[in-house]
Amino acid sequence: MPLREISFGQALNEAHISEMERDPKVIVFGENVSSPWREATRGLKERFGRERVRDAPITETAFIGAGVGAAIAGYRPVVELMLVDFGLVAMDQILNQFAKSAYMSGGVISVPMTLRVLTGAGTSSGATHSESLHGLFAHMPGLKVVVPSNPYDAKGLLISSIRDPNPKIFMEHRLLYPVKGQVPEETFEVPLGVANLVREGKDITVIATSLMVQEAMKAADELRGRVSVEVIDPRTLVPLDEEAIVNSVKKTGHLVVVDEDYLHYGFSGEVVALVAEKALKSLEAPPIRVATPNVPLPFSPKLEKELLPSKEKIVAAINRAVA
Amino acid sequence: MSLNEAKTAEIYRIMVRIRTFENAVRRLTKEGKIPARFGLYTGQEAVATGVSIHLRKGDQIGSTHRPLGHLIAKGCDLNKLMAELMGKESGFNHGKAGPYHTFDPSVGALGANGIVGGSVPMTAGYALANQLKGERNIAVSYFGEGGSNQGGVQETLNLAACWQLPIVFVCENSSPEVQRMLGHEIDYPQLSIDNISLRAKNYGMPGSTHTGWDAADVYKAAGKAIRRARIGKGPTLLEFKVHQLEGNLEGRLEANEKERQWDPIDLLKQMIPQKLDEQIKADEAAKIQIAIDFGLRSPEPASEQAYSCVFKEAD
Repeated sequence: MPLREISFGQALNEAHISEMERDPKVIVFGENVSSPWREATRGLKERFGRERVRDAPITETAFIGAGVGAAIAGYRPVVELMLVDFGLVAMDQILNQFAKSAYMSGGVISVPMTLRVLTGAGTSSGATHSESLHGLFAHMPGLKVVVPSNPYDAKGLLISSIRDPNPKIFMEHRLLYPVKGQVPEETFEVPLGVANLVREGKDITVIATSLMVQEAMKAADELRGRVSVEVIDPRTLVPLDEEAIVNSVKKTGHLVVVDEDYLHYGFSGEVVALVAEKALKSLEAPPIRVATPNVPLPFSPKLEKELLPSKEKIVAAINRAVA
Repeated sequence: MSLNEAKTAEIYRIMVRIRTFENAVRRLTKEGKIPARFGLYTGQEAVATGVSIHLRKGDQIGSTHRPLGHLIAKGCDLNKLMAELMGKESGFNHGKAGPYHTFDPSVGALGANGIVGGSVPMTAGYALANQLKGERNIAVSYFGEGGSNQGGVQETLNLAACWQLPIVFVCENSSPEVQRMLGHEIDYPQLSIDNISLRAKNYGMPGSTHTGWDAADVYKAAGKAIRRARIGKGPTLLEFKVHQLEGNLEGRLEANEKERQWDPIDLLKQMIPQKLDEQIKADEAAKIQIAIDFGLRSPEPASEQAYSCVFKEAD
């Protein structure tokens, strides 16, 4: 497939167009999705009409719940949540109804809805506009959790998500939107549950997701010639490509997990537990987690930076792990 | 209750204070001295001012993500407010809050809020505490037309009426003609009624709609509702139509000629003698310059402050 350079936001836009053209049951709604300032859904209303593309009132409970209902009734809604923190007002619809309905029905219904969510810190937006929270959703049985880190994956994973017959939460870091990369013009799928080996290495395994893949790669670049760093992006947290992670640690014997989500009870702990269960004897040193401490994210840029994972913190962790 | 000369000048002064402060915020944000852009209150000054002029220090407000007018009208210290917006240690909340989460309990400003409609249930709690204490303090809950649809807001209207709480709900409807969200003209309306105050009746409280750019109208309507709450007769839902003249987060940032007719400060200025107007503008500009200097001079919080306040030590 011929590639050309587009942004993460454009890649998401192309995925919507691909699936809306392919399947008339794909409908899109959320706050301001018909706005020209929202890149992922830009132009969809003009192209597919306002029956299929709807602006919703600021009522997360109502429009997420309506997506769940439309999905059960045979549609394939792609519902956008402006920021993940705003989804917390609708936790019943997300965690009870969206996540559990298919199971509770004993399989007589399905909920093929994709909840697209913007996430992420680094913009001095304070404690209710900055969170990641993928760990919270991954904790709940029944939700697939998709966390793209680059334009290629954004397009391929969103297409796969829309086609998948289950509830999915698709989490897009705001700061990735302008990031550019090589993406095919055609429709293609990146399967859910298959990790991406971003860089091959032999001394240490670094597991990172979303924006943190970039930071991990910067750290690996800085250590080039001294430490051979393998960087793995799981791309989906549920399902998790356990084999890719375990096999890499068996090869390198060292592990650092980088996560912008909170440290406690989260993705970083999950990966360390997985390795402890399946490759403990391969570990030559204790694993290290570089994640956001359990502190609500502060407004002050200085305090925010203090808390977030960064290239410098990853480099320090790698050096400590392989010392 | 109509406006006398002294009250008119007082209201005008506070509106000028809010406008001057926000103009400074706009400039400081462009210069990078304030680290993030956020929603401003330009065009809505008459609402917070006409409401707060009736409030006591012991009364509380719950605010929104467009909070500066509410906070300034309630009497928040300008120096600490400006320092907070710059993320400085000397700010109300030591740089942790920024605009969206500012708390100043010393004047009853109990929270700006980053979640649309998020402060409304909490504000019913301030009113509940007032009712229990019996000191005849009241609470004012601010939200917008978007927030008015949130489940938490609807539930709180019901609860406040059931418990006859001393609270006034103030809905600032900033889409009085064309329905917009963050400046974008939406493809489906977010309200299927013209006046949000119509909902009051269904919850069992009085409701009315007013001209939010007319300080005299706000003053009168708010006075009546606040008196009612204070004497224990329960909640009221007031709706004020307003036009956001600048400061939308998306789209254009400048008011056009047509919109200037809705400028509450321009309108009230006609009632103010020219000399007094000049005096007020000079006084307020000087105060705000002091706040800017205070903020710029203040130190950043120490890095270890990032970890403080997650839990409180036992008393």
